[in-house]
Amino acid sequence: MPIDQTRLHRALNPRTLAVVGDKGPNYQWLTNQKDFTGELYSVQLDEKEIPGIEEKGISNYKSLKDIPGDIDLVICSVPRQVTPFVVADAIEKGVGGISMFTSGFAETKEPQGIELQAKLVELCSNAGMPLVGPNCMGVYNRRLAVKFGGGLEHGDGGDISVIAQSGTHGVGITNGAQTVGVKVRRTISIGNSIILNESDYLEYLMNDPETPAIAMYLEGTKDGRRFFEILCEAAKRKPVIVWKGGRSTAGARAVNSHTGSLASSQAVWDAMLKQAGAIATSSIDETIDAIAGLVHTKQPTGRNIALIAMTGGQSVAITDQFESYGFNVPELSDPSYQRLAEFFTIIGGSYGNPFDAASTIGSESENLQKILEILADETVIDGGVALEFRSRGFENLEDLDGILDLLDEYREKTNQPVILLMPAHGVMSGGMEEAARVWARVAERGFAGYPSFQRGAQALGRIVDFHATRVE
Amino acid sequence: MNDVIAAARARGRSQLTEVEAKELLGAAGVPVADTRLATTADEAVSAADSIGYPVVMKIVSPEIAHKSDIGGVVLGVEDAVGVRTAFAQITNAVAKGAPNAEVDGIAVQAMVPQGIEVIVGATTDPQFGPVMMFGLGGVFVEILEDVSFRIVPLEQRDAHDLIHEIRGFPLLDGARGQEKADLAALEQLVLKVSEVMNTNPDIAELDLNPVFAYADGAIAVDAHIVLSDQSATD
Repeated sequence: MPIDQTRLHRALNPRTLAVVGDKGPNYQWLTNQKDFTGELYSVQLDEKEIPGIEEKGISNYKSLKDIPGDIDLVICSVPRQVTPFVVADAIEKGVGGISMFTSGFAETKEPQGIELQAKLVELCSNAGMPLVGPNCMGVYNRRLAVKFGGGLEHGDGGDISVIAQSGTHGVGITNGAQTVGVKVRRTISIGNSIILNESDYLEYLMNDPETPAIAMYLEGTKDGRRFFEILCEAAKRKPVIVWKGGRSTAGARAVNSHTGSLASSQAVWDAMLKQAGAIATSSIDETIDAIAGLVHTKQPTGRNIALIAMTGGQSVAITDQFESYGFNVPELSDPSYQRLAEFFTIIGGSYGNPFDAASTIGSESENLQKILEILADETVIDGGVALEFRSRGFENLEDLDGILDLLDEYREKTNQPVILLMPAHGVMSGGMEEAARVWARVAERGFAGYPSFQRGAQALGRIVDFHATRVE
Repeated sequence: MNDVIAAARARGRSQLTEVEAKELLGAAGVPVADTRLATTADEAVSAADSIGYPVVMKIVSPEIAHKSDIGGVVLGVEDAVGVRTAFAQITNAVAKGAPNAEVDGIAVQAMVPQGIEVIVGATTDPQFGPVMMFGLGGVFVEILEDVSFRIVPLEQRDAHDLIHEIRGFPLLDGARGQEKADLAALEQLVLKVSEVMNTNPDIAELDLNPVFAYADGAIAVDAHIVLSDQSATD
């Protein structure tokens, strides 16, 4: 029986939650749900574990079937040999869905695990039961505060949702996005995908009005054709970032043609992602960088960018990187140069584009304001501004806020991207602590900041490419 | 067009001969060099007369992959006398070089003018199914592997991207004072092949190598089709 998307919807948006098989001393899964907005129950047979659960103020039952009322989502963390019984109870109870943390199934490649997995497949597919996993971290729902770990935010809003074939990367992308000031609406760690697979989740998020963009980590696909078709449709509706990990060895095959010998799995994946209109990344850094760019920058309309660096050496380095990612760093028009000449300190600085601006804006913040006003009026610039940032140093966050206010004004006025580049190396002032404060503030104010020119240029380049492909 | 495949299958073959491949592709609207099968010298002459001189003659055998290595190809045949001479020459060479090979006959093909050499291919990816490939011919594909891929079926814009994506694209676009290739014709050819792949699960792999691209038009000069493992498609 195929899984009904409305049933999946119920499981992913639970009002009642039952954690089955959690154990002390930490009661990891129950603790994760401490902010859950609905009703939380525990199911545990082990008499030793029950007092600890009840101490937390959570009602414990001996069986799912004993819980009064409906259960929308079951989080299952029992030992693997018990899972078929929990699933059978869940089916009998008519729960919305199951998220299964338990591992030790076909991924072990040993007979007992394979057999148990087959049993779960049989039970769930006969009942049309949405099962997330097994062998996964399950689901995170920001609004309802369903969580798979500590430190995750909850509340309104949502900039992006995440699907991850690896629990580690699902958690990593969620935490990483949160760190750069992005609100993750949902994360689904899909594990072994024995009932629902990456295409089902992508289809769900594609239709989810609360998900404005999607990021995925995948190592392969259960059904390439279907995945391709859904991805094409999803990328038409909202931005989709796909980080494909691993060199797939799926289906080694006989090759009798020249074409066959050249069509490596990686080459075909890369082409597929491009054809579907997805944003392809190849590491967690690239993925978070792309997410920050996508969420925090205005939609770019061109590749003519203004670069503001603080020293001569940095103005060369920043230009090299942006040019290598397909940007132009054009000269400005004469009227702009005339206005710049009125105040720009050319001793120890220059204003070609790139700007070498420390001597000018280091002394007076109004000068940065003047530069940004001139750039806002400059029609040759259609790709926004990238500003080298941290080497200036910030003794207090008020200085920083003053500059962020100016950049905010610029992006609202021009509707063009602004990104901040805070190189980790070769910094002129400020220690680690100051850097951490600056990073946090930049994220909080909704700006994309990058720790190298290369990463900033690459991320913004991907966003420009994505929008250019959509406009075509 | 499935008659060609059915006939090849009936003979227990897993690949089409060049003549069969071109017949199938030509019928599907892919521009291919006019190529006909002759089993006697007389047939070869009448084929050449109707194609027009000069012609190329090649041995047709599912068991001979490298035809020129054993003397199975004669280029630039100018007239009927030449056709008879070439027919005998190839027959003798094959009798010596591959005495046990199953031979269908000898192909007579229009000798088309040299164009910019490109390769258009398709294969079946285990995850994504039929996939198309494009690249420049010769060293570009052999050594540099400068090729691009798209999943079948391709839309117009995919065909455009497939061709524009290779690093060597400037060579098709008039670099170094060369004539520009007819990109629209190449796109059309790619889209036709995509259609063939999309509607024929019997075809596992396909190489059009080379395709000649001209300032006006493009044509597949050689064609190779590998059939899918029948048990997999049934």
